[in-house]
Amino acid sequence: MTATLGRFLVDLSLLVATSGAMVGFAAGFRPSASGARLARRFAYAFSALMTAANLVMFYALLTHDFSVSYVAQVGSRSLPTWVTIASLWSSLEGSILFWGLVMSIYIFVATFATRRDHPEYMPFAIGVWLACAAFFAFLIAGPAQPFLTIASPLADGPGPNPLLQNHILMAVHPPFLYLGFVGMTIPFGLACAALLTGRLGHAFLRPLRTWLLLPWTFLTVAIMLGGWWSYEVLGWGGYWAWDPVENASFLPWLTATAALHSAIVMERKGTLKGWTVTLVLSTFLLTIFGTFLTRSGVFNSVHSFTQSSIGPTILVFLAIALVFSVVLLATRIDRLTAEGEITAGASRETVFLANNLLFVVFTFTVLIGTVFPLVVEATKGTQMSVGRPYFDKMAVPIGLALLFLMGVGPALPWGRATGEQMRRSLLPPAIGGALAAAIGWATGVRHGWTLLTLAFGGYTLWITVREIWLPVRQRMRARGEGVGEAIVASQIHRGRRRLAAYIVHAAAVIVIVSIAVSSTMGKVSEVRLNQGQTTKIGGYELKFIGAEERNEPHRISTAARFEVRREGKLVRVMEPAMNLYQGQREPIGTPDVMTTLTHDLYLSVMSIDAAAQVVGLHSMVNPMVGWIWIAVGFMGLGGLMALIPSRRRPVTDRDDLMTELRPIESAPVTSLVEEGG
Amino acid sequence: MKRVLAAIALAILTTSADRLDAQAIPAPPVQGASAPDPSEIVGEPSGKRLTGDALELETKRVSALLRCPVCQGLSVFDSPAEMARNMKIEVRDLLARGYTGEQILKYFETSYGEFVRLQPPLRGVNWLVWISPFVALLLGGWIMLVRLRSRPNTSTASDESLASSQLLDESLAPYLASVRRMAYDNPDDSKMSAAPNPGPVTMGDQK
Amino acid sequence: MNRRVLLVGLAITIPAIILFVVSLGRDPHKVRSPLVGRVAPDFTLLEAGSGAVVRLSSLRGKPVVLNFWATWCVPCFAEHGVLTEASRQLGPNVQFLGVVYDDKEEKILQFLKENGSAYPTLNDGGGKTAIAYGVYGVPETFFIDPSGKIVAKYEGPLTPQLLDSNLQKAAGRS
Repeated sequence: MTATLGRFLVDLSLLVATSGAMVGFAAGFRPSASGARLARRFAYAFSALMTAANLVMFYALLTHDFSVSYVAQVGSRSLPTWVTIASLWSSLEGSILFWGLVMSIYIFVATFATRRDHPEYMPFAIGVWLACAAFFAFLIAGPAQPFLTIASPLADGPGPNPLLQNHILMAVHPPFLYLGFVGMTIPFGLACAALLTGRLGHAFLRPLRTWLLLPWTFLTVAIMLGGWWSYEVLGWGGYWAWDPVENASFLPWLTATAALHSAIVMERKGTLKGWTVTLVLSTFLLTIFGTFLTRSGVFNSVHSFTQSSIGPTILVFLAIALVFSVVLLATRIDRLTAEGEITAGASRETVFLANNLLFVVFTFTVLIGTVFPLVVEATKGTQMSVGRPYFDKMAVPIGLALLFLMGVGPALPWGRATGEQMRRSLLPPAIGGALAAAIGWATGVRHGWTLLTLAFGGYTLWITVREIWLPVRQRMRARGEGVGEAIVASQIHRGRRRLAAYIVHAAAVIVIVSIAVSSTMGKVSEVRLNQGQTTKIGGYELKFIGAEERNEPHRISTAARFEVRREGKLVRVMEPAMNLYQGQREPIGTPDVMTTLTHDLYLSVMSIDAAAQVVGLHSMVNPMVGWIWIAVGFMGLGGLMALIPSRRRPVTDRDDLMTELRPIESAPVTSLVEEGG
Repeated sequence: MKRVLAAIALAILTTSADRLDAQAIPAPPVQGASAPDPSEIVGEPSGKRLTGDALELETKRVSALLRCPVCQGLSVFDSPAEMARNMKIEVRDLLARGYTGEQILKYFETSYGEFVRLQPPLRGVNWLVWISPFVALLLGGWIMLVRLRSRPNTSTASDESLASSQLLDESLAPYLASVRRMAYDNPDDSKMSAAPNPGPVTMGDQK
Repeated sequence: MNRRVLLVGLAITIPAIILFVVSLGRDPHKVRSPLVGRVAPDFTLLEAGSGAVVRLSSLRGKPVVLNFWATWCVPCFAEHGVLTEASRQLGPNVQFLGVVYDDKEEKILQFLKENGSAYPTLNDGGGKTAIAYGVYGVPETFFIDPSGKIVAKYEGPLTPQLLDSNLQKAAGRS
């Protein structure tokens, strides 16, 4: 019964999405108010149906209705409720259904938010969104059908993959990832609409930028959560291994970041329109490519026994989307005429260009490294690997160059900087670089690349903070305002977008520096300990007190207890564990992490013998890892802050008019410095 | 055989001080048994026998270049899996016996295939994956420069279009432009384009 | 129509699509072990329980079936029955060898006691022999011809049919 209802809703949503896509395109080619309204109604109807289908599945999961095939596959009565809810995206069929839910929310909100604006673009955009939605509805209705009826259901199910149950982050990471991935459909639709109409005016840049920034923010946080999950669960003490699944999430992030930057140039200079649109299209295509990589089984290791049935379907969609995008770009890109131009010379816009070049080269490098084993296998028939040593070697110089540009760009004015301006704005921050490198040296950093990263990080951070601070000081001097008042006025009210961008930049500096430090300055030790024995790592003394088995409803947890001492004083008792889940043969390690301001103490057990009281311990001291999660959180907050629409002020007050006129991203520091000195 | 065991014992004893009060893992192979000898495949050890910190560092370097066969792309060094641990110990043993990193990589490659090398060795078709990022950078940079150069080297885009482009409502542009002329008593276009943030500066000057 | 964009775009996308189609078609079970065609790496291991010394090179002259397994491996359980049965049928014409990877002696003996044994089971503590054979996981089986050359490798549990067809190769009757 429940399964039948679910199937019906999915089938109907497929029908609605397909017809809605056609209506959208028709209304785009022959603009009419009624056509646009009809397209919107189809979008709303699809959202309602797909959401309802998901609610049916939630209901089936929560009521343990094992007559629904997906519930029989991942459900279990012994699970905590949060695991039951999270099991919606724990397995292939459910995750595609959940994809549909996220898509329906995005389509609803985007359609509703733009219902009164851009009438010439929106029918096309809705058409593209619903075409993508139709594809996913087709996947759910066919190859990945979660609503099959099981005639004679069992009383209980096996529960989801134990790795999912092992950590709460697994309930948080996938929704963020989907919000990032699926959300890229919205800017894709808008960019296609711009190409289809052959126009990309200034007004339409605003929704394009907003709808790119929103999924970018989610994706940024999602990538961090994935790394954090890997760190907290997998027990190897790292957070990024450059494996194809991780790369799949990183690739669209790179192109989306490039697009966000080129959109600024477009906004300021009226140029790079075709380029920005290309980046937006690439971002969407890379999300579909990533979905193909992770769902098709082409990257399964030799010992994986699962082969997915949806691989070919996703590939067909990817192929259609690729060819559609290329043809669309080729036929329409010349219509997006530039209103301005960029000239050679030291200016902010040339730095933006260099930034875009590096992001694209970065994307290309990660992409080629990821697919190269497939190329070799397809042509030579041999299996080979491209792994972390390769990606690290490539990513470090590119990342460093981007870190440096992140400082140089904001320090340069739009237009063209004079030699004097450049000296005044680019030289003093070198103090920050030298300072950071010196601090690194003093705390024992000897690794060349890490020192360089610190230097560039200090340089860029100096500029970023200066860019935030100068308008505040400016205002304090000009109007005699207090610090707080000036900050609120100049940053929160007027330059919110600018401040948001610099918050993201500052956080990105912290992330890059933390990655460099944590990956080169860590300490590792592997030992086997008997009860009462101790081992030392990085100033800590770890004493193995004993191991005990605990029976919990859905798992047996064997924990090893360690007393952690520093300079003889007991700091904490830590309990890395091995969890054996119901219906599983192999236990899964659960590390215990103690986070301090400067470093993490990371304990994970390789083996525990509770009977003999012997433990194989993998202990690590990882500096600055905690900073990564926090800083990425700030990147997310910065992204959200930039999304808050600025209030439109009535054009009366002369001063307010000035503010409106003042280009948001500008404020070359040099003029302010000159004025101050 | 004895030589092997001696080397293993030495390796265990001389590893970092962390290990001194704990038993190193795992137990050495049973007396009498002998695993296949790498010298049959990669020849006699051609490097120095490593001990102490040098051994640990080189073990880390070499095992980070090997792929853990049972993991999702993790290196032998990073992986906590049982198999990876065995491979790490094998790497350490071979280094202690004087095999070079390259010999050890070759030994693993003979049994596992090129798949086991996380860093593609520089040969044959693999050159492509190493070179193509640089080609992309040069090509992209060249295209960018050519495009920049081909433009007339005038001063920057006019401030007029720039400011109006900020506005959401384009019909307001002429009106705002006129207000702006009022705001700057003596508008100097070239100066403004170099410093398009005249508002606060003017006010600061007045003070 | 911007022909340059079209050409560059298609030059990137068409090969990519072809690549993915080809990749989808491949069988992840098919492993090309570089050892096939080479002389099997020689080892000396002790039999579980008895402690008897078994040297691989001393078994030349008849085909050898070298099976890597472990007691904690689920598919190995069914496979063990297949191999034991085959070993009993074929008798001294084919030498079966089990190599237990990463396991405890007492667990091995317990397993053999419960499930029967018909050929030597060797204990590869530390996994050095498994590494020399490029073992990814268990079960994996190598087929060695009378001259000591590896002629085939199979990953995953053997069925009687698979065992038979691979043995044909090892006996030089392929």
